[in-house]
Amino acid sequence: MRNKKTGLVFFPAFDWAISPTHPEREERLLYTRDQIFEEGVLDLPEIEEYAPRLATIHDIARVHFCVPRVQSQVTEAHLIAAGSATLLADAIVHGELKNGFALVRPPGHHAMRVVHGNRGFCNINNEAILVEYLRRHHGIKRIAIVDSDVHHGDGTQDIFYHDPDVLFISFHQDGRTIYPGTGFPNELGGPGAYARTINIPLPPGLGDETFHYVVDNLILPILEDFKPEFIVNSAGQDNHFTDPLGSMRFTARGYAEFTRKLNPHLAVLEGGYAIETALPYVNLAILLALAGHDYSYVREPEWPGTMPENPERVARVQRVVEQLRNVWENRDRVDLDKIFGAGTFFQRRKHIYYDTDYIEEEQLERVRRCPNCPGYITIDSRADHGYGHPSRVFCVSIPFTACGACQTEAYDAYEQARGLAQYQFVYLQDKSTDTFLAFDRDKDQEWVSEGPKVGE
Amino acid sequence: MYIGIDVGGTCTDAVLLDRGLVRAMAKVPTREDLLSSLLEALDEIMKGVEGELVERVVFSTTVITNLIAEKKYDPVGLILMPGPGLSPSLYRFPTDTYIIQGAIDYRGREIIPLRLTEVDQAVAELAARGYHKVAVVGKFSCRNHRHEKEVAARVRWNYPDWHVELGHQVAGQLNFPRRVVSAYLTCATREKYQFFVRSVQEAIAQRGIKGAIFILKADGGTLPLESSLEVPVETIFSGPAASTLGVQALTPPGETAVVVDIGGTTTDLALILSGQPLLASRGARVDDMLTHVRALAVKSVPVGGDSVVERVGKDIIIYSERLGAPYCLGGPMPTPTDALRVLGLTRLGDVDRAREAMQMLGAPLGLSVAEVASRVTTRVIETITREIEAMFSRWEQEPAYRVWEVLQKKKVRPGTVVGVGGGAAGFVSQIAARLGCYPVIPPYAPVANAIGAAVARPTLQVTLRADTEQGIYIIQEEGYQGKITERSFNEEKALELAKEWLCKRAARHGLEDCVEGLEVTRREVFNMVRDWVTVGRLIDVTVQTRRGILHHVGAGGTSDEK
Repeated sequence: MRNKKTGLVFFPAFDWAISPTHPEREERLLYTRDQIFEEGVLDLPEIEEYAPRLATIHDIARVHFCVPRVQSQVTEAHLIAAGSATLLADAIVHGELKNGFALVRPPGHHAMRVVHGNRGFCNINNEAILVEYLRRHHGIKRIAIVDSDVHHGDGTQDIFYHDPDVLFISFHQDGRTIYPGTGFPNELGGPGAYARTINIPLPPGLGDETFHYVVDNLILPILEDFKPEFIVNSAGQDNHFTDPLGSMRFTARGYAEFTRKLNPHLAVLEGGYAIETALPYVNLAILLALAGHDYSYVREPEWPGTMPENPERVARVQRVVEQLRNVWENRDRVDLDKIFGAGTFFQRRKHIYYDTDYIEEEQLERVRRCPNCPGYITIDSRADHGYGHPSRVFCVSIPFTACGACQTEAYDAYEQARGLAQYQFVYLQDKSTDTFLAFDRDKDQEWVSEGPKVGE
Repeated sequence: MYIGIDVGGTCTDAVLLDRGLVRAMAKVPTREDLLSSLLEALDEIMKGVEGELVERVVFSTTVITNLIAEKKYDPVGLILMPGPGLSPSLYRFPTDTYIIQGAIDYRGREIIPLRLTEVDQAVAELAARGYHKVAVVGKFSCRNHRHEKEVAARVRWNYPDWHVELGHQVAGQLNFPRRVVSAYLTCATREKYQFFVRSVQEAIAQRGIKGAIFILKADGGTLPLESSLEVPVETIFSGPAASTLGVQALTPPGETAVVVDIGGTTTDLALILSGQPLLASRGARVDDMLTHVRALAVKSVPVGGDSVVERVGKDIIIYSERLGAPYCLGGPMPTPTDALRVLGLTRLGDVDRAREAMQMLGAPLGLSVAEVASRVTTRVIETITREIEAMFSRWEQEPAYRVWEVLQKKKVRPGTVVGVGGGAAGFVSQIAARLGCYPVIPPYAPVANAIGAAVARPTLQVTLRADTEQGIYIIQEEGYQGKITERSFNEEKALELAKEWLCKRAARHGLEDCVEGLEVTRREVFNMVRDWVTVGRLIDVTVQTRRGILHHVGAGGTSDEK
């Protein structure tokens, strides 16, 4: 299978920006375009460029509860970014491609299950949409997402926190020193998906050597045990030593080597805001690594050579790696009731801040601890936009592999919430039948989205 | 009066147009000596016409195509400055290649300085191997050509009489490997092309023609013959461009059509979208090398009227080669033309011989003459139809980099299939039927290519790139790098400046008339933001003279298309 091509969707969205001076703006992939075009990479027989395509509203509704509805949270650019990932995934599953790179904007890994607005430059989660798409359209069950962005992929973590079939691994700069302030080793997934979430916080200033220590000693062994059918790389590139938002010291070559070792089916661009000094080189190196080409000649002009690492910080990383390996190896032997309590529901309260849109959200998330399936989830969410009344919504999510009992209970929960005046909107997302319902109290109306069925 | 001459592989066609009407046409066989075929065709259509009455002569030529195909040129060495990026082992150029230090980045900034001693060494080795031509190309040289110029100066300092070609002068677009190939081919063919151009000029002057002489390029535009000396490689593949423009001239304006030019050994397919021929999104492939040569999107299918047909086992196969004329015209082997003759779809050749050819193919399979003939034609039609479908999907699959481009993409399907060339009459109606289109065989279809050449417009374009942070601008086509002195330089001023440069360029080529109705084909502005403050802008503007044809033929007069 390794003689097949690497697919590329390059969608720089040259006419889309959050705001004119925002880091997530039109210019972001401009120099990447110049570098890739000038190198003649797209003429290489091993690389094939695809035209982007739009994701459907239904593809989004399968993952997110957008308030009040999908159309109010996404622009066409979002649909194109998410759709490009699913387009490449189709070609990979059909065997036309060995792997792919969705080099797209806007990014998505901070977008959580409930979406009241833009968080960390993200509205919808491209990788999560891809995962649910793969399960629905191609019946792929076990999927791993490895997030290499300098920021914790808190949105992706949130969406798959109770999903035992999705392994989410994120390494990132220590959350005490950078947005969004989460992603610590003790965040390991809910009771039904314990140790399916692995967070590796890294002290600022670490370089390639320690990065690869983590890859070799933790990430790759875990992946080998988990045996995913499909590996997604949430390819953020702001761990680069020139990135203005992060404080890490990874190089283009370090990223390329990581890509070669991880050997993902699909890399999806996330962050990375050193648009001149890092992105042209990192993106090129990753593309070459995916295509199986020599990337050792890719070198950024400011390349510092090998950098000495701070031994005390390296030791800290080694301790975290050891601790997490321990967790992983003992994941089936732990007493979950001791960690999560013994009730029929596990619940947690979350406070979510939308840094771009200044929204404060309070959530009560409850997941049914079901012996037969991952259990349905309900979320009671209240968002304060800083003006008028906070909006309050109720969301019910039924997992792809739900048992009949959970499905029935979940529909009851939806019906019950429809009768409660405090919820402006009530949503039901049934991944097992690919049906999405939304109830609007003011209009006393229900929308239904059933989307295309398998095989259509 | 206008003259168009298309020197093709087998035939040289010529037409004389008088106010949009075809006054004379000629078809002569193309001989080894292109110049003599050209003059023969010219003399045939000029009978009784004074040379002074001819305002312009446009011809398309295979001279560069042949030079490259037959590798009839001196060896050219390469001195490259690829800098960091792709491994140089991924670049496979068909000659001795020297890679030296030195690099420029995407904004034209030097990131690695040159080492001139490496140039001396490369040149000495090239000289020892008998080279006296060299192409010098650096990555991002179209953004800053300083390194290329310094290397060239060093080469000439070593060998003043060497022919040196620089990458940035050959192609301004991004794509380093293609720039290398374009520079290499330009260096290889320039001298021989110059010789050819001089002989053409002399011969035409002898015929008393004082009008302007133009040459057709692969993108369907024309250049004054004299100016084409700068870019010889762009005259490659002008044949398919000629027939596409011919169809454009012979069909109503604004039409979306597929052009099917069925020749002896190949069938060329092209698209006319809403009245304009479609340009290929990337440069043409020449002798299996990728170049920067702008060309119409033409797909060549290796099947034609003279393709050899053979029975292999229980199958009837059409080969992509030609072994002479069709059997009905005295050739050695059965061909699709014989099948057409049997089915009464052409009147070429001897029907009995055609039947005999089908008999040879079908007898061992127990098939009747008519059955074999229809099987052969169906094969040809299927092959061509499949390629047309593929061409449309490829075009729909072109990448897009902006939201609006993705959204406005829609499926366009042609309404008509226009057939030109020798085999058109027999095949086009069935091809059209399969695609659900109307078949059209325009008048003068056999010489559509010469008509296309005659009415092609001169094209010139200028691409300006300004970097206001660095205070510089570049004119890609001229290899010019200038300073921006105005503090309030903006998009509008960039456009004005680009237009000025286009006028200058037009004047230099003697084309002052065509700067009217300029088109802006690209306009890009990016703010450069550092630490939340806009520090400058990158402005890219491309302006060009109007593309297309001077007028439609048969409509009479010079009714310009809108």
